[in-house]
Amino acid sequence: MTRVGVLLAACGLAVSVGLSALSFPAAADDTAPAVAAREPAAAKKIVRLGVTQSMDSMSPFLALRLVSTSIHRWTYGNLTVPDPQTLRPSPDLAESWETSADKLTWTFKVRDAKWSDGQPVTAHDAAWTFNKMMTDDGAKTANGSAVENFETVTATDDRTLVIKTKKPQASMLENPAPIVPRHVWQQVTDVGAFQNETYPVVGSGPYVAVEHRKDAYVKLRANPNYWRGAPKIDELHVIFYENPEAANAGLKRGDIDWIGRLAAAQFEALAGDPAIVQWNTQGRRASYLQLNPGAATADGEAIGDGHPALRDPRVRQAIHHAIDKKTLVEQTQNGLAQVADGSIVPPLYSEFFWRAQGEEQVTFDTAEANRILDEAGYRRGDDGIRTMPDGGRRFEMRFSIHTDTPVEDKLAQFLTGWLKEIGIELTTRRLDSNKFTEETGSTGLYDIAISGWSVNPDPEEVLATHLCSRRPTASGQAGGTESFYCDDEFERLYQEQLSELDRAERAEIIKRMQRRLYTDAPVIALYYPNNLEGYRKDRIAAITPVPLDKGILYGGSGYWPAYTLQAVAAPAVPAGGSGGTGVTVAVVAGAVLVLGAGGFLLLRRRRATADERE
Amino acid sequence: MSPLTGAGRRGLTRSARFWREFRARPSGPAGAAILLAAVLVALLTPLLTDPAGLDVTRATGPRMGPPSLEHPLGTDESGRSVLLMITWGSRVSLLIGFMSALLSMVIGTTVGIAAGHFRGWPAAVLMRITDWFLVLPSLVLALVLAAILGGGMFTIILAIGVTSWASTARLIRAQTLAVEARPYIERARALGGGHWHVMTRHVLPNVAPLVLANTTLQVAGAIVAESTLAFLGAQSGQVSWGGMLRASYDWGAATSGAWWYVLAPGLCIVAVVMAFTLVGRALEAVLNPRLRGAGR
Repeated sequence: MTRVGVLLAACGLAVSVGLSALSFPAAADDTAPAVAAREPAAAKKIVRLGVTQSMDSMSPFLALRLVSTSIHRWTYGNLTVPDPQTLRPSPDLAESWETSADKLTWTFKVRDAKWSDGQPVTAHDAAWTFNKMMTDDGAKTANGSAVENFETVTATDDRTLVIKTKKPQASMLENPAPIVPRHVWQQVTDVGAFQNETYPVVGSGPYVAVEHRKDAYVKLRANPNYWRGAPKIDELHVIFYENPEAANAGLKRGDIDWIGRLAAAQFEALAGDPAIVQWNTQGRRASYLQLNPGAATADGEAIGDGHPALRDPRVRQAIHHAIDKKTLVEQTQNGLAQVADGSIVPPLYSEFFWRAQGEEQVTFDTAEANRILDEAGYRRGDDGIRTMPDGGRRFEMRFSIHTDTPVEDKLAQFLTGWLKEIGIELTTRRLDSNKFTEETGSTGLYDIAISGWSVNPDPEEVLATHLCSRRPTASGQAGGTESFYCDDEFERLYQEQLSELDRAERAEIIKRMQRRLYTDAPVIALYYPNNLEGYRKDRIAAITPVPLDKGILYGGSGYWPAYTLQAVAAPAVPAGGSGGTGVTVAVVAGAVLVLGAGGFLLLRRRRATADERE
Repeated sequence: MSPLTGAGRRGLTRSARFWREFRARPSGPAGAAILLAAVLVALLTPLLTDPAGLDVTRATGPRMGPPSLEHPLGTDESGRSVLLMITWGSRVSLLIGFMSALLSMVIGTTVGIAAGHFRGWPAAVLMRITDWFLVLPSLVLALVLAAILGGGMFTIILAIGVTSWASTARLIRAQTLAVEARPYIERARALGGGHWHVMTRHVLPNVAPLVLANTTLQVAGAIVAESTLAFLGAQSGQVSWGGMLRASYDWGAATSGAWWYVLAPGLCIVAVVMAFTLVGRALEAVLNPRLRGAGR
């Protein structure tokens, strides 16, 4: 670096750091791909939702991301939909259903509805969709696991769908697969490669996708043929943002009307704006730690390099005792989360949520943690760090988190401090998300790792992530385990709940599974983050959450919030009006800065050449 | 007879002259004073303060508390004293700055002297490698290196050192060419001096002043690089000034009006980098024969 360069760089750093913070909304605005959204919504009633993901695929057979599955939920019907009041399955495209005495045959009566192109919806469409997923590997990507247990699916007539399963399946009514129109999809030769980008997309949901610009937006139009009746707005635009700050700024400026899944800091930044409603309710997510219980493949062959001490449930439970979850909620979530006194199912799902009580509850108690470890024979060395009973390996453990996640960084700082108190030396490993998924999901190269799961109204999937069979295959292919856990008791309960069609009985079994996870501690739930959202009340007149009282708007299950949206008749302020002055100020400041820096540089140059001339 | 030998006397007068010329530019001693203060703080911190204050689980202050008697520079998002973090951070920032500048100088000097001494294809190869490093965007390269090698202070030092030596190599090569054109080098060769002898005994001492001046400037660059890397997310895992800037940004210090959290590390970086630059420039003017006597 040249002399001038260093000096400039120093000044530049100081100025840029200061400025980037000050002119933040204007700067963020440059990255907002919201051009499409700024057109005045004069005649049409348009609501614009901002999300910080973009579509991975418009094909419901391939889409995995939340934004994609949400849009598919709004454009396609499923067999059932969670009731907005109770979250229990209620009729969607299936009007009614019954099961045979042996619990293996389900008969659905399909509703008399129309596709958005006017063709009738029949049982043949549903049968074609499920059969495609059962026979074509390319169609299994998104929801293949939902039909794994299906023996045959047939349409006996236009209105009757019969599904035979290999084993009883209690989660049958929570099937996540959208039903696609057979007359359109029959012509597709390779479903695994087909992106479904012919607009308008034929569907049977409340909206029809009419336009998609990659990484920019998806436009949805109300479906006049929708069997419940068309939505009360004309269009719903989903705008993709690169980062949450930009999306947040977009909401403040009025580029978008609604934003979901906010982090605590962004949520708090919305305070004080009279036009914005801050929506703070129970969330569907659980944040937890994974403790490597001795990683192995599905065949039971040990893999990875997890710390041997963590194979001892007493050590895992001692770590549980050493964590002050209340402080974590205050310090990393700004108090906008619930302390987890249960396991991986959040209290939002009151039917399935299990709460640890009395003796069983693991409290923040460093002395107790130390007592457990002392009793188990893990003695402290001279430096206060414990060793294995044979005096060999020290309690040096790694904590794996993602890069660029301030919350996880802060969590790591606290955990390091607390574990030091019980004689464990923790070092933080920041991994990019691919490597993180690989090390904590298939190669087992971790001791303790951060993780979390957004739970569906039926918790079967999140429970399944702790099954033996979900561990990686011998060839190293990931199976979707969240803990490398493999426990006979847990397996037995899982099979039991699968075939228990009595809902209350099944909920009891699911609670026992959570209890097992809590006491054996392959995962330690830390907190349940609140569902934080914001919307502009000068644009959105009404919206129905799920569940109805203080529930989720975006990212929940079903289509109720999107379907029940009501826009304010005339847009109050033309979009972008409020942000105009901010931009001007930033531009002027930027120009002054550039001119100043240029002048400085020029001056330096002159002086430098004068020096060199001599 | 004077107790000093001829060489000693020459050394004394040389350092006396050096000091006189260095002092003649007020910016040099001013920078040196700031540096001395920074180094003293870095060295005395472990003797005077308790690192337990950096542990978030033991922090007692309010979250983002403004400056007070108890916390003269306020507190961070976890209630830790910003002043304590600044003093402990100075150790990391200065250490990374010094070590990576040293690494970069060792590589740059070796390559530069070798490329200047050996003509023909070895020089061509070395200079093409140098050019390659020169045109590579070093910040991006350093980020990638830090990401691949994983976090840690050593990684950051390596990443900065490996990406910043190219300009030094060019500078040293030019000086080596000039030195080697002098008649006494030819004489040394004629007397049977080998490559190693010429490079270490004759060329190195002659380029050493330039190396020293350049290292000083290099430290400034390295501290900025460390802050930039930390700000972009490649952190050493310990409290550093760049890391503090990053955290203040992450936790919205500016939007919540916690100016002390942004300004304190920012000003420290500016002060130390400025000091290194001033000292480096002054040294350069004194030691570089081409700049000697210029710009008074």
